[in-house]
Amino acid sequence: MLTSLNNGARAAGGPIKIGSALPMSGFAAADGVEFKNGLTLAAEEINAAGGILGRPIQIEIEDTKEMGADIVTQAMQRLIDRHSATAIINGYNVGTNMVEMDVAADNDVIFVHYNTLISHNTKFLSDPQRYYSCFQGDPPEFYYGPGFLLFLKSLIDSKQWNPPNKKIAIIPSANEYSIVIANAIRDRLKEFGFELGLYETVPFPTNQWGPTLAKLRQDPPAAIAVTHFLPQDLAQFMTQFLPEPTQSLVYMQYGPSLPAFREIGKEAINGVIYSTVIGCLPDDFSATYRKTYREKFGANSAYITGSQTYDGLWHYALSASIAGGAGESGNKEQTHKVSEAMKRLIYRGVNGIYHADPKGQSAYCYPTQIKDPSLGMAHQFLQHQDYRTDPKLIAPPLYATDTMKLPPWIKV
Amino acid sequence: MEIIGPVLVSGITTGALYALATLGLSLVWGSLGMLNMAHGTLLTIGGYAAFTAASQLGLPVPLAVLAAVIVGGLIGALIFVLVAYPLSRRSPETFETTIMIATFGVALTLENTVLRLYGGQPLGQPLSVPGAISLGAFVLPWQNLIIIVSAIALMGATALFLTRTKMGRAIRATAQNPDAAKLMGVPVAQVYLQVLILSGMLAGVCGVLVSSITQLSPSLGADPMLKAFIMCVVAGLGNLPGAIITSFGLAIVEALVQFLAGARWGFPALLAIVILVLIRRPGGLFGRVDVRRL
Repeated sequence: MLTSLNNGARAAGGPIKIGSALPMSGFAAADGVEFKNGLTLAAEEINAAGGILGRPIQIEIEDTKEMGADIVTQAMQRLIDRHSATAIINGYNVGTNMVEMDVAADNDVIFVHYNTLISHNTKFLSDPQRYYSCFQGDPPEFYYGPGFLLFLKSLIDSKQWNPPNKKIAIIPSANEYSIVIANAIRDRLKEFGFELGLYETVPFPTNQWGPTLAKLRQDPPAAIAVTHFLPQDLAQFMTQFLPEPTQSLVYMQYGPSLPAFREIGKEAINGVIYSTVIGCLPDDFSATYRKTYREKFGANSAYITGSQTYDGLWHYALSASIAGGAGESGNKEQTHKVSEAMKRLIYRGVNGIYHADPKGQSAYCYPTQIKDPSLGMAHQFLQHQDYRTDPKLIAPPLYATDTMKLPPWIKV
Repeated sequence: MEIIGPVLVSGITTGALYALATLGLSLVWGSLGMLNMAHGTLLTIGGYAAFTAASQLGLPVPLAVLAAVIVGGLIGALIFVLVAYPLSRRSPETFETTIMIATFGVALTLENTVLRLYGGQPLGQPLSVPGAISLGAFVLPWQNLIIIVSAIALMGATALFLTRTKMGRAIRATAQNPDAAKLMGVPVAQVYLQVLILSGMLAGVCGVLVSSITQLSPSLGADPMLKAFIMCVVAGLGNLPGAIITSFGLAIVEALVQFLAGARWGFPALLAIVILVLIRRPGGLFGRVDVRRL
């Protein structure tokens, strides 16, 4: 598609600068490196196809270190002032209170990110005219909550799981993302026939789970939902959980999709169920991407993380080409045109479908938010059945390649 | 005991790690008046050195731990030779301030070097032992036992070194009064070098133990460094036995607060204790203002 759009097009001007404010050092550096890799790969492919109407893409990175609103704001402003970025495509940054949207709005640049926050939608809706150029590349974290309960219900209905009681223990960490998911689960428990066993907020980051595990053992729940997301901490949870396990399903989100979870937890992670509202689908469509990514960045690289910015840049490049070019930095009229093209273009990437929900300008979530799989990004449920191999996709059924197996610590 | 046992195990294990991290920091602080901001990074490098020796070079566990000790000691020596010694010679009156900034720079450089060499993905420390001992309803993971025993053994060895050897006595004499020690013929610069090497060696082992129960990452040492700083302040600057007692005491309090009040209240409780102690006893629980003792 991009090649045909570029056919004969020779726009004036040098390279188009795409900025990215990423945590290249600090505790989230592992993800920052993968986000950069995703951008690098996409830029190479886009440039090989002729760039954006003949102009090549050039990636500029600013380190957001330990993140937070002040550091991320400064990094984004530098991308605009120093590098003349026409668009900023980030991975995630923690603790920003979505202040990035103000930088993008004040400077009229396209901003795509994967913070996975409902606060993006809230802020967008507060002034859609001002935040017209801000896009969240995946569904907000809120959908983890109802999606998880829907998944548990489906396990019970299909007799794959017979819970010993109706209690769900919820363990968020002290950050907005984890707490929104935890609250979304807690607030809808009764609707799905469950009740709250334990709600325990742990520090972020955390790796000493002893006191929390002691509470879980005091009143064993049917399922444990850990909404903290750092892979190394989640692996430690399993290592410390297994010496005295409770008869509970263990559900986590996002972190177990990263190689570090398997690398650190090893056999202790077998049986863990997790989900992600964005991740490279294990289908034929993404096979070339997965192969190229691992060949280029190493066997242990996390293509599931890099796929986010990879899709983000491709979506932007196609939209900018459709809109007649990226324009120069701060060109409000052209940025508006690109933004409109991004909203209209339903983009099938390696993560599935990006289709902007007008009530927030985030991706629609399938199946919790929208029932048509051709219009929503799949909320994927996966299980680590053998830590030496890739996890198995067990839901939603349309995409599933395997079925859920009861974890080894649960006695039938 | 079935419920409170794991809480105590968690507290004592964390206390052992805090104590070991605090020991190295307090040793340097007490003897040189130097707050080594790179101490946490020395833990990180120790962990990665053992990982490299065991995973990439295929060396047996004792040699991997030895590698962490050697690398930690070596970097401690380099910090003295390249940073601390020149600064103390050029501006002795501002040394306590400038060395903090300088070692913070060293920490940033070393942390980013680790990031470049090993990448940002967290790695599993291969020197960890799975499984647990069951004593009725009480379960003690092997790894926790190893950490507790190793930390206590290292603290005991350090105490013996400081009290029973000529080198140890020289370190203590220099810490108490460097000028008097110099007049008595103690080579003070050499003693300082030895202190930084010893601190680096302890940090190296501590890094192996911390990473065995958490993970390896470039920022591995940041949390133990912060906690060690808190322990040093609460115990009293440079008071080694006090720092060790404080480390175990506060770690157990932290674990109990996490269990009884909620996991998120552990660290705020530690900070509240620091504030209360400093209001009541500005020199720390075991310290005396302006007096450095080992």
